[in-house]
Amino acid sequence: MLGREFFRDQHKETVVVGFFFTRVLSMGTRVMIAFKACGDEMNRPMGDQENIVIKTERVSKSFPGVQALKELDFEVARGEVHALCGENGAGKSTLMKIIVREYIEDEGDVFIQGQNVRGMGIRDVQELGLSLIHQDLNLVPVFSVAQNICLGREPRNRFGTIDWKATRQKAAIFLSEITADIDVDDLVENLSISEQQLVAIARSLVTAPRILILDEPTARLDHKASDSFFSFLERAKKGGLTVVYISHRLEEIYRICDKVTVLRDGKKIMTSKTNELPQTELVRHMLGREITRQVPKETVPIGDVKLSVRDLFPKGKGEGISFDLRSGEILGVVGSIGAGKSELARAIFGADPKRSGTIAISGKEIKINTPQDAIAKRLALIPEERRDQGLVGNESVRKNITLAALRKKFCRGPSWIDRNKEIEAVKESIKSLGIATPSTEQQVQFLSGGTQQKVVVGKWLMSDSDLYIFDEPTKGIDVGGKYDIYKLIVDLARQGAGVIFISNELPEVLTLCDRVLVMFDGQIIKEVQTQATNREELLFYVMGGRDYAETANNSKRDH
Amino acid sequence: MQKQRITPKEIINNYGATFAFIIAIIFFSLTSQGFFSGQNLQNILVQSTSLGICAFGLTFVLITGEIDLSYGGVIGLVGAVLAGMLKEGHSIGMVTLVCLAIGLGSGLLNALLIVGLNLPSFLASVAVMFLCMGAERIYNQGITTWVRDPEVLSIVQSSVGPVPLPVFYLFALFVICWFLQTQTRAGQYVRALGENINAVKEVGIRGQLLKSAVFVLAGLIFAFAGYIESLRIGGAVMYAGKNLLLSVLAACFLGTATFKAGKANLPGTLIGAFFLYTLLSGFTGLGMKFYLVPFAQGLILIISVAISSARRGKIEQVQF
Repeated sequence: MLGREFFRDQHKETVVVGFFFTRVLSMGTRVMIAFKACGDEMNRPMGDQENIVIKTERVSKSFPGVQALKELDFEVARGEVHALCGENGAGKSTLMKIIVREYIEDEGDVFIQGQNVRGMGIRDVQELGLSLIHQDLNLVPVFSVAQNICLGREPRNRFGTIDWKATRQKAAIFLSEITADIDVDDLVENLSISEQQLVAIARSLVTAPRILILDEPTARLDHKASDSFFSFLERAKKGGLTVVYISHRLEEIYRICDKVTVLRDGKKIMTSKTNELPQTELVRHMLGREITRQVPKETVPIGDVKLSVRDLFPKGKGEGISFDLRSGEILGVVGSIGAGKSELARAIFGADPKRSGTIAISGKEIKINTPQDAIAKRLALIPEERRDQGLVGNESVRKNITLAALRKKFCRGPSWIDRNKEIEAVKESIKSLGIATPSTEQQVQFLSGGTQQKVVVGKWLMSDSDLYIFDEPTKGIDVGGKYDIYKLIVDLARQGAGVIFISNELPEVLTLCDRVLVMFDGQIIKEVQTQATNREELLFYVMGGRDYAETANNSKRDH
Repeated sequence: MQKQRITPKEIINNYGATFAFIIAIIFFSLTSQGFFSGQNLQNILVQSTSLGICAFGLTFVLITGEIDLSYGGVIGLVGAVLAGMLKEGHSIGMVTLVCLAIGLGSGLLNALLIVGLNLPSFLASVAVMFLCMGAERIYNQGITTWVRDPEVLSIVQSSVGPVPLPVFYLFALFVICWFLQTQTRAGQYVRALGENINAVKEVGIRGQLLKSAVFVLAGLIFAFAGYIESLRIGGAVMYAGKNLLLSVLAACFLGTATFKAGKANLPGTLIGAFFLYTLLSGFTGLGMKFYLVPFAQGLILIISVAISSARRGKIEQVQF
């Protein structure tokens, strides 16, 4: 995805020059920008435009295979807190990265504080008072908190070397600004995720920004940290800070934002004052029109309770999770990034240690401490990062499929593999799963994403699993591949397996699942039957909304 | 946030190789006559200079998360050119400049290949190593050349008071490098670059340029190591760099087990270099058969790295 950007960067750096030469060069650029700024200052139109601090005009950006932004116009006025909403892939992060010059637009213009930023670099727009807190925490794990906060802006003493005392003081000041109680000498790798996020926030304040862009900052913060972070934002707003706030949480959007802009498929759908837009309306704008169902719904008879999870506290995020899964049932688990879905899957499967909670299969309580335990109980996890966690990429389809069942099924004596039997079985599962491979010996890394997914499923079928956890199985897979995976999952259910289907794509959850659990902030906040719900209601809950029916009624009354 | 107390176990894990080093010194002092004499210790120091200097250069590159093996060729080429040019009657000042220019050139070539063309650093730097070896061969026709001018040799082969000059150079360069790495912004960014390139990008530091500069700096240090090595032995032996190739690498990785478990660092590298020559000298002093010495060295290395990597379960591997 970053291909083109990276390429461009590479070539910029091909001209290798010594330290001093670059110093001179960068000074030159700065002087030029300063001159340009003076010129722009004089040409700037007066009046209403004066108050617009971020403005994009017909900005387009595409990545190989994806049009991320289409002729997008976006404006943020001075002093406002502006929410940016949209489903995953709507183009929110891309737009923000263009504004801070991490990406360069293909077409269109971007103005910060009235200046066209064409040709400027990341540091130049930082000079204009802009700062972005990324969705990913880009910290240096082996550095101290102070070193991380001041990275790139270390105070220097009169010898030109780093003034460590001043660095620590500076870091402490910015931490206290967001009321974060973190020791500046601690290594970042020893901090909790929430604390790391606070360090990242403190770092973005070092440049004394007048415009702050926040990309889902609260996804990683715990409750206490969130609260102090919001009171910081409110204080900063009074001090004249402009904020662009990307979030998937309705409560936050309505608590702190003045305006909201909705993006969908790289286009701006609407901008409105937050207090004039009911929550359900906002959700409706994010979704657009209902898309027709992609897979014919198939009812499979649902049997007895197969898996019972009680009061499970997974590692990291997740509190007191309880639910049942019946045989033949497909149970959807939805929630935004950081809601704790994958943590739940990994805890059930024994991939991460759990803090507490019990798991019972067919009414019998069992201990699952490692994935081996889970496999022995015929559990299967198809992880999100299948390339890293589910497959051996440079091995053949055959070896991948029989990997987990090799000892149980295909061995004579201690470790002598019955090759004929193995090939026979692999051929059969290729046929039954419809794995598109030229031969059993094809390396899986050369297969398409959907086909790879089937190989992972084939591996678990081979070891007689009958409880499946799919974590985002259709991520990055084309439409045809998705359809095959849906069919496969329905087949598994028909054979009596229980399936947990974790996904961020609400349409597929609605078509495939019998029942849906909505996770928010580590908890299951809602359980709905798919027949009795719709996308709007589901997204409403995913964003942490409470009591959909009442909110929807109120909004109807208002209009 | 509560401060964690450092347990004795952690100290051993963090400084495992350092302890092994100290134990080795004590062991050899007790068992091998003459090991703990001033003369012998001085010899160890002098012998480890070119290895240590060269390893400083490699350490910088390792910190950025890359690797640079071109010193295996650069050291030999610098030595050959130095001896050859002196024989042809060029002034030592001129020769020194040419030697540094060779380091600069190989560093630039590495930067061009690895940063500019995005080739894997392991392969690219090995290629540069072979190029330098080839150039060395072409230049000296495979003949060993000696340096006989006593004034030139005195640049390295004399002492200031009790301190032999090579040792002085080693420690001076160590102080400069250590200062550069830990006390300057550029040094900080080099470390940050190796740990998380996105962190560096996000704050607007030009990471690619910085990486290029590190390769150039390493090239210059390699050339300096070749210069010292050649003057220390008084001439240019064929493929002088080849002999140092693995020892330098070993010193750096031993260094990762010395301080800051798992991370390349300059003090660790320095101790790693001393450690290697202490073992060599100690075992030889014990009268061990020369063909058994590498075997003993290997065992000691395994033990010292194993005890220090226990904390994280692994020593971090360099991504080639």
